Amino acid sequence: MIQHLLHINHVSKHFGGNVAVSDISFSVDEKQIFGLIGPNGAGKTTLFNCISGFYPVTSGDIIFDNRAINNLRPDEICHMGMARTWQRVKPLGSLTVLENVIIGAFSITNSTKEAEEIAIEQLLAVGLSDYAQKTAGSLPIGLKKKLELARVLATHPKMLLLDEICGGLNHTETETILGIIREVRNKGATIVFIEHDMKAVTAVCDWIVVLNSGEKLAEGTPQEITGNPEVIAAYLGGGHNA
Amino acid sequence: MFFIQSLLSGILTGGVYALAGIGMSLVFGVMNISNFAHGDLMMLGMYLAYFAFTLLHIDPYLSLLLIIPTAFLFGFIIEKVFIHRIIHHPHQNQILLTIGLGLIMSNTALLAFTSDPKILTTSYSSSAVNIGGISLSVPLLLSFAITAGITGILFLFLSKTTTGLALWATSQNREAAQLMGINVAKMSAIAFGLGTALAATAGALIAPVYYIHPLAGHTFLLKAFTICVLGGLGSVVGAGVGGIIIGIVESMSSTYLSSDWKDVVVFIIFLMVLLLRPQGLLGKKGEQ
Amino acid sequence: MKQIIIIAVIAGFAALLPLAIGDSPYFIGVLISVLMMAALSSAWNILGGYAGQYSFGHAAYFGAGAYTTMILISKFNFNPLVGMVAGIIVACIIALITGSIVFRLRGHYFGLASIAVAEIVRLSALNFDFTGGAQGILLSDVSLWGMDLNSKIPFYYGMLLVLVFTLGIALNLRKSKTGYYLQAIREDQDAAASLGINLSFYKNKALLISAGLTSVLGSLYAVYIRFIDTSAVLDLRLSIEIILTAIIGGVGTVWGPVLGAVLLVPLAEMLRSNVIGDVLVTQGIVSENSGLGVFLKGNLAHAHVLVYGIITVLCILYMPKGILGLFRRKK
Repeated sequence: MIQHLLHINHVSKHFGGNVAVSDISFSVDEKQIFGLIGPNGAGKTTLFNCISGFYPVTSGDIIFDNRAINNLRPDEICHMGMARTWQRVKPLGSLTVLENVIIGAFSITNSTKEAEEIAIEQLLAVGLSDYAQKTAGSLPIGLKKKLELARVLATHPKMLLLDEICGGLNHTETETILGIIREVRNKGATIVFIEHDMKAVTAVCDWIVVLNSGEKLAEGTPQEITGNPEVIAAYLGGGHNA
Repeated sequence: MFFIQSLLSGILTGGVYALAGIGMSLVFGVMNISNFAHGDLMMLGMYLAYFAFTLLHIDPYLSLLLIIPTAFLFGFIIEKVFIHRIIHHPHQNQILLTIGLGLIMSNTALLAFTSDPKILTTSYSSSAVNIGGISLSVPLLLSFAITAGITGILFLFLSKTTTGLALWATSQNREAAQLMGINVAKMSAIAFGLGTALAATAGALIAPVYYIHPLAGHTFLLKAFTICVLGGLGSVVGAGVGGIIIGIVESMSSTYLSSDWKDVVVFIIFLMVLLLRPQGLLGKKGEQ
Repeated sequence: MKQIIIIAVIAGFAALLPLAIGDSPYFIGVLISVLMMAALSSAWNILGGYAGQYSFGHAAYFGAGAYTTMILISKFNFNPLVGMVAGIIVACIIALITGSIVFRLRGHYFGLASIAVAEIVRLSALNFDFTGGAQGILLSDVSLWGMDLNSKIPFYYGMLLVLVFTLGIALNLRKSKTGYYLQAIREDQDAAASLGINLSFYKNKALLISAGLTSVLGSLYAVYIRFIDTSAVLDLRLSIEIILTAIIGGVGTVWGPVLGAVLLVPLAEMLRSNVIGDVLVTQGIVSENSGLGVFLKGNLAHAHVLVYGIITVLCILYMPKGILGLFRRKK
């Protein structure tokens, strides 16, 4: 029997009078690579912020690992095994690349030595070992994205929320990141990722949910989604980044 | 009777506080800077009024015609020389720079004017009008009237003139204002000049009823901050309302508690606002 | 490890210093001030430099230590060490109250709120009777284990001990989980929270460590001077001097606060005791009877805060990372 690791149950988020996310429901299964797509302003990042504890939901429930997490703080959610990256990368700028990843690793150990070992291992996994002693703020965007990934992988998450991890990257960089994501899944983690780039999504995802103007437009396998006329219309009409 | 007396004198003093608070809020709104030299600018206004009176024999209220342009120019230059260079720095550096500028002002004043407090005594300093058993100090009444006038003019300036609207636009969204072709660097200098002029005016207005001392700015600085936070940092109308509230709170706590504790009451209110409503009484939610 | 050796060497050198300069209470006094400011600034640096939470109200914790100790000694004849421990407790209580209010706030509000709390403490000490009000508290006699507390030497070593202890904590923190977490909070609070860092817990932890150490220094200072009032131990100016010392040396570094104190305190002392004015006059650079000479003699003693102001402005404009920041290797 397949377990739902994450269950989004009729979640809405309002900012004042603006409805950013409206009555969204879906489930993510264990070891799935799950894509959340939609044009700009569809509510994807807002939903991520709700799931990861940065915004309180206006209504609805978020169940992760059989526990309601609506009222937990971001750090508590991280300790439950859910880690996220940021669309606008947030490197700890004046610290080194290695120190950035060490800080991620401290969520599973108290020992500096162990944290360092985990960090070195993750830097190797994403191919950042050569940059370990550089300050994080000085990296170009492609490497900053890899750093984001290494830092959350160091928390050894059950579930990864990746917010446009391939945004702004060239083809080769995107391929590398997608390769890492597949590998992480093969080791047993579940991945939810937001992406503009339909090609990247269809290449790796098992299941896709499409958001438009804060509402769920469609869900299905990549083949079903790419053939869905409503989705195509939304992308052509609402977004120019498709 | 006591109550009404206390309420009215609170409102009158509060009006002058409001002026200082509006100046600070304007600077915060347009430049996103907490100006820790604001109290010292007020102190300079007190001395300007004092020397205009003792050396040039100009009535303190009349001397505003001199003080306002002088202070505006001073603030404008300070912004051009110092503040604009740190406008994109972290908050703490901005705070420290303005603290440094304030220390320079207050301690230069200390060297130049000594630490002996000065008192500005006009022919009407201690006169009061009596309305139905309630006596109101003439200087405070005059100050309040002038404050109301200046606030009105400021409001018209901000809402009707091109420069005023550009200032308002900059305070709403600096980047968007820049994209619309507004010279935000110039707006910053104007805002700081106006803030300085308002601080100095408040200082001059309070000079006839207060000890004039080089370190007087300290007390006013914290009061101005409380007023701004109460009204919502950056909100000019909020600062006006905040000033009146603080005036009343002070006056009431002096009457019913003790004048020694009035500042403590003000700070406790300050913390309560930060705790319960950090966007201020009139601010929009989610603006912190 | 290298850093620990440096601390040991400098501490050893400092421990021998009184033997070298002999029986000069004036110089010992200046050195005590240097050690105290170095320790105060290092303690502030744990919160302000590591965690990036600029407290503008650290005088409150210094004053809490000083007042608690003095009240317990003068009114109840307690041992000064008991006073010191009680001071830490009082400072930590104030810190917890402060933390619960101010750490929910970010940016401008945090600095403002820390000042407001410190002002409430200052005005309370000024207006209550048991704190001696505006008169402050004077201690005629104090004793501990039969030491000669009329000499400044025990206080020199006391301050040195607290400084070494503070630096030890600062060094140890830097390479520990807490130290890393504080730096993460300084760099980006949202990123820190998403990596599992409980923001308010770690901020409060840094504040408590910082406040406790600051309070110990307040206790030591009070027993050393034997007189305290609000302008000496609770003034906003003290809070600002503590920050400036760290800024000028280099915020967030272990040695910045020490360097800042070594440079600033003797400078302030020279201005305060008018050494500079005297030198200018005795060297014949300025005539004693000229207008300038009279002015310098009479007023230069008041100028040290002015000089602090000028240094602050220049420092923020030209070297916001402090002196150590100038030498830091670029990665």
